[in-house]
Amino acid sequence: MSLTIGLLLALSFVVSLLALAFLIWAINNNQLRIEQRHAYTIFTEGEAGQVDDPTAEREDDHHFDIERAGIDRVSRLPVLILVASGIGWLVLGSLFGLVASLKLHWPDWLDAQAALTFGRVRTLHLNMVIYGWASMTGIAVALWVTPRIFHTPLRLPRLPLIGAALWNMALLAGAIAIANGWTDGEEWLEIPWQVDIGLATAGVFFVVPIIVTAARREVHHIYVTGWYYLAGLCWFPVLFVIANIPYIHSGVQEATVNWWFAHNVLGLWLTPLGVGTAYYFIPKIIGKPIYSYSLSLLGFWGLALFYSQVGIHHLIGGPVPTWVVTLSIVHSMMMFIPVLAVAVNQHVLVARNLWALRESIPLRFVALGALLYTLASFQGSIEALRTVNSVTHFTHYTVGHAHLGAYGFLTLVLFGAVYYLVPRSTGRQWPWPAAMAAHFWLVVVGFLVYFAALTIGGVLQGLAMLDATRPFAESVRVTMPYLQARSVGGSLMALGHLLFAVHFVVAVLQRPAPHPGATVLSKPAVAA
Amino acid sequence: MNRILPLGVIALGILAFATLMLVIGPAIQIKSMAPTPGLANYSAQELRGREQYVAQGCVYCHSQQPRSADQAPDAERGWGRAAVASDYVYDRPHQLGTMRTGPDLFNVGTRLPSRDWHLTHLYQPRAIFAWSIMPGYPYLFERKSRAGPGDVVVSLPAEHRPAEGVIVAKPAALDLVAYLQGLDHTNPAPARAVRDDGYSERGEPR
Amino acid sequence: MKTQLSGPPSPSETFEPYETMRPIPLGVLMIAVALALWGVVLLFDNSEAVAIGQAERADVLADQPARSDADGASLFSARCATCHQPNGSGVSGAVPPLAGSPFLAGRAEVPIAILLRGIDGPIRVRDTVYDGHMPSFASVLSDEEIARLVSYLRERFADRPAPVAAEMVTALRGELAGGSGWKGGQELAARLAPELAPQPSFALASRAEADPATMRLVNEGTNGSWACASCHGALGQGSETVPRLAGLPAGYIARQLESYLNGSRRNESMAVVARSLTRQERVALGDYYALLRAPSNARPSLGGDIARGERLVLEGVWDRGIPPCVSCHGPSAFGVAPGFPGLAAQHPAYTASQLAAWVSGERDNAQQKLMNGIARSLDDADRRAVADYLATLPPVPVAATKERADDRR
Repeated sequence: MSLTIGLLLALSFVVSLLALAFLIWAINNNQLRIEQRHAYTIFTEGEAGQVDDPTAEREDDHHFDIERAGIDRVSRLPVLILVASGIGWLVLGSLFGLVASLKLHWPDWLDAQAALTFGRVRTLHLNMVIYGWASMTGIAVALWVTPRIFHTPLRLPRLPLIGAALWNMALLAGAIAIANGWTDGEEWLEIPWQVDIGLATAGVFFVVPIIVTAARREVHHIYVTGWYYLAGLCWFPVLFVIANIPYIHSGVQEATVNWWFAHNVLGLWLTPLGVGTAYYFIPKIIGKPIYSYSLSLLGFWGLALFYSQVGIHHLIGGPVPTWVVTLSIVHSMMMFIPVLAVAVNQHVLVARNLWALRESIPLRFVALGALLYTLASFQGSIEALRTVNSVTHFTHYTVGHAHLGAYGFLTLVLFGAVYYLVPRSTGRQWPWPAAMAAHFWLVVVGFLVYFAALTIGGVLQGLAMLDATRPFAESVRVTMPYLQARSVGGSLMALGHLLFAVHFVVAVLQRPAPHPGATVLSKPAVAA
Repeated sequence: MNRILPLGVIALGILAFATLMLVIGPAIQIKSMAPTPGLANYSAQELRGREQYVAQGCVYCHSQQPRSADQAPDAERGWGRAAVASDYVYDRPHQLGTMRTGPDLFNVGTRLPSRDWHLTHLYQPRAIFAWSIMPGYPYLFERKSRAGPGDVVVSLPAEHRPAEGVIVAKPAALDLVAYLQGLDHTNPAPARAVRDDGYSERGEPR
Repeated sequence: MKTQLSGPPSPSETFEPYETMRPIPLGVLMIAVALALWGVVLLFDNSEAVAIGQAERADVLADQPARSDADGASLFSARCATCHQPNGSGVSGAVPPLAGSPFLAGRAEVPIAILLRGIDGPIRVRDTVYDGHMPSFASVLSDEEIARLVSYLRERFADRPAPVAAEMVTALRGELAGGSGWKGGQELAARLAPELAPQPSFALASRAEADPATMRLVNEGTNGSWACASCHGALGQGSETVPRLAGLPAGYIARQLESYLNGSRRNESMAVVARSLTRQERVALGDYYALLRAPSNARPSLGGDIARGERLVLEGVWDRGIPPCVSCHGPSAFGVAPGFPGLAAQHPAYTASQLAAWVSGERDNAQQKLMNGIARSLDDADRRAVADYLATLPPVPVAATKERADDRR
C-alpha cells in the first residue's frame, strides 16, 4: 500500500519533469526559429542590432521616448496612488513589526490593551507588509512595467483606482478586525473571509486592465517579465479565493490548505512580482540584454512547477501524510533549478556591469534584491531537508528566512523599482539623492543585523530544543541577545522606511521640473 | 513565448495539479480517518476558550503538534506523543503553529492541569518564570477591592500582588484556561494513524 | 563586448530589455538532472518510513495494559516471582509463599481480589503472620491477564486446573473498584473467605489522617500559591511531567520542597509553591502523600524499548557505569525510605525529564551526585526505555514506604 504511494509519487514526479523538459524544448526550439525576429521587435524598428552599444545611438531614442512618455502618462495616477498606499502600509507595518520585535524582549511593555498584545501586533505587521506594501507596490510596478514591455498604453486605467480604494478599505477593515481579535485564525489568512471578499473584488480591478493591456500589445513576443506578471495575476486570485472559502476544511486538512496557500503567496505571487520586476529593471538600467532566453524559460516554468508544491515543508515532522511532506521536500530541493536559471540570467549581467551599481541606486536595490532572492531560495531548499528542518523549524531562524525572501529580495527590488519609476512617471526628480543612499545603507545594514541575529539565534534555539538534557528555558534564554539585536536591525530598517516615505511625499508634492520629459529621461537612470 | 492564453492555461493547470497533490490528495486520505480513540469534542466553554486562544494569537508562539521521538525529545519534555491527523478532527480553525517561542501546548492539559496555575501564568508569566518572554494578559483580569461571590481570585506571589484589592479572572480568562486544561491527546494513536513518519527510518530501532 | 575607454557607459534610455539566444549552460542541466534523480529516489524511498512508523505505533499500543497476550507463566515471572520467588516459596518472614497457600486453593475470587486491590495489613498464611503489603495490579493488568495469571497460579501452586474466566475478574473489578488495599487478612476473610479465619487483626496505626490545615494546602492552596491537588491530582497520582506523589517517602518529599527553595532542584512553579510553605507544612505534606494510595495512571508513552528498560532497571549495565535502579530504589522499584523514592508507576515523561535534569544539573540534590553520574551514562533511548518500563510496574503499596519516626527530619 505505502509502497504503491511512493511509486505513484515518484512516477508523477518523473512525468512532471518530462513535461517540463518537453515544454521548454518545444518553446525554445520554436522560438529559436521564429522568435529570433520577434525577440527583436521589442525595440523600435532600426534599433535592433545596435543594442550591444547602447551609448551609440542617441537620435533614435527620441522617437521612442515620446511614445514611452505617453505610455507612462496613462499609468501615472494608478501607479502613484498604489505606490503611495504601499509606502503608507510599509511605514505602518514596520512600526507594528518593530513593536512586536521589542515585545519579545520587553514582554511587559504595552501589555494593557488586547489590540497591542504580541499575537495581534505581529499579525498586523504581516498582513500590512504583505497585502499592503508588497502586494500594492508590486501591482503598481506591474501596472507601470506591463504597458512598457507591450509598447501600448495601459487599458482601463480607471479600474486600478477603484481597486486601490477598495483594497485599502478592505485591508484597513481587516487590520481593525485583527486588532480586535476577529480573525480567521490561520497564518497568512487572518483577515476575516467576509473582508477578504473586498480584497478579492479589488483584485479584479487590477487584473483586468493588465490582461487587457497584454491582449492589445503592440509587440508579438512577451518579454519574460510579462510571463511572471501575467502568471502571478492568474495564480494569486485563484489561490486567495480558494484558500479563503470558509467551512470546507478542518483540522489537519485545513493545515495543508493553509500552507499550500501561504507558501504559494510567496512562490506564485510575491516571487513572480519580484523576479519579473528584477528581470525588467536590471537589463533596463544596465542597458544590456539578459543572458539567455532558454534559461528564462527554465526559470519560469521550473518555478511554476516546483514552487507550487513546496508548501507542506512547513509541516515536516507534523501530523500530515508522509508522502505529501516528502513531495514538498523534493520540490523544495528542485527549486534549485529555476533559481539557478534566474541567478545565471540576472547575476551574470550584473557581474559583467558592476560599474552600473555605482551609477544607479535603483540598480543597487534591485541587483542586491535579486542576489538575495538566490540566497533566500537556496536557503529555503536546504531548510526543507529533514535533518536541517529538525533544527530550524519552530525557531526564529524561519523568521529570518522569511524576511530574507520578503524583505531582502522583494522589498529591496520594489524600493529600486519605485526609485526608478517615480521620476519617469511624474517627471519629478528625487529631491534628495543623498537620502536615497542613506535609505539604502540603513535598510541594508539594518537587515544584515536582523538576518544574522535571527539566523544565529534560531540555530542556537533549535539545538537547545533538540537536546532533552537542556530545559526548555534554555531555548528561550539563549535567544535573548539575538532578539535584542533583531530589534536594533529592525529599528534601522524602520528608520530607512520613514526616510523613504518622507522623500516620496516631498518628491511627489514638489513642483514639477520645467521640462519634465527632457529633464528626467535624458539622464541615465537616477543620479547617484 | 508569445501567446497569453496557453501561458495562462498551463500556469493554472500546474496550480491545479499542485492543488490536487497538496490539498485534495491529503484531504481524501485524512477524511477517511476516524477520530483517535478517546478523543472527545470540545465543550461549549472550551470552544469559547479556543476562540480566545485564536483571538489572542497564541499560535504565533505555541505549536500544537508534538514531534516523534525519532526526531525530537518532545515526549520527554512532557509535550506528549507524536501527534497524528486524527487528533485534530474537532479543530477549526487548526492551530498547529510553526513557532516554539513557547513550548508546545497540544497536551498542556495533562502536563499543567491546574486552573489556578494557568490563571497566575496568564496574568503575569514572570510571576512564575523569571525568564519568560510571554506577554501577560492583564486585560483578561480585573482588580477588585474584594472578591464577590463566584469570583475566581488569582493567587499571586507577594511581589506581583496589587497594592490593595484582589485580581479576579474575567470569564474570557476562565474560558481560555478551560480550553488549555482540556488539551489532552495522550491516548495512544492507532498504528495506522496518519502523520509524517519520515524520521522513523533515521531513529534508532527500539 | 566593447571595452569602455572613456568612463562608464551611459545606457540608452530607450533600451528595452530582451534575452539573447544562448543555450542553457551545461552545469545547470547537470545539476537539474542530478536533483531530479535524487528526488525520484527520495520519493520512492519514503514508503519504507511509513511502515516503520506504523510498527512503532503498534509497539506502543502493545505496551499498553489490557493489550498484552502474555500467558500466565510469563505474567508470573514478570509480576510475581521477584517477591514470591520463581518457585513460589516466598521469603521466610517477609513474603508469604504461594505454593500450598490456602488463599489460592479456595475460591478463585480470593486471589483475584488480592490482585485487584493489594494488601495493606497483616496476613496469616499457613500459621505464619506476614506484615502484608502488596501492590494493587488493577491498573497494570487487564481482566484477561489477571484471569490467565490466576488460572496459572491455581494450577501450579494449588492443583486447581479449572481455568478462571475473565468475566469473573470483570465482575469483581466492578464490585471492588476504587477500594484501597485489603486491610490485612482480616478484611479479606470477612468479605470473601470465612474459612481463612482466624486472621490477625488490623491496627489503624499507619494511616495518620492529615490535619485540616494540611488538607487546605492540598485542596485549596495557600497565600500566593496553588493547591497541590490542582496539578498532582486528588490522589497524588500526577500526570505527564507532574510526578506521582502517592506513596513516595515522606522525608524525600519534604527534602524536595527544600531543594526547590535552595535551588539545588530547579522548577520554577514548584519554587513558587515551596516559598509559600513553612517548614512544618513541608513535613506535613510529605507525611500526607507518603501514606496516600492511588492506582497507577502511568502508561508507557515515550516509545521506549520496554525490554531494554527492564534490563536497565533490574540488571543495569555495569561496564557503562549504570547500576540497576532496583539496587538503590528497592525491589520492584518501590523505593527505600527515606532517601530513595519509589519509581514504580511513575509517569514516563516525569522520569525521563528528571533523568535529563540530572544530566544538565537542573537537578542537583542527590547525595554524592550519585544520580548525576548515572544519568550521564544514559542516552536518550535509555531514558525513554527506563521511564516507559517503570510505568508498567504496579504502584507502591503503602507500607513499603513506612518510615520510622527518626528517619524523618
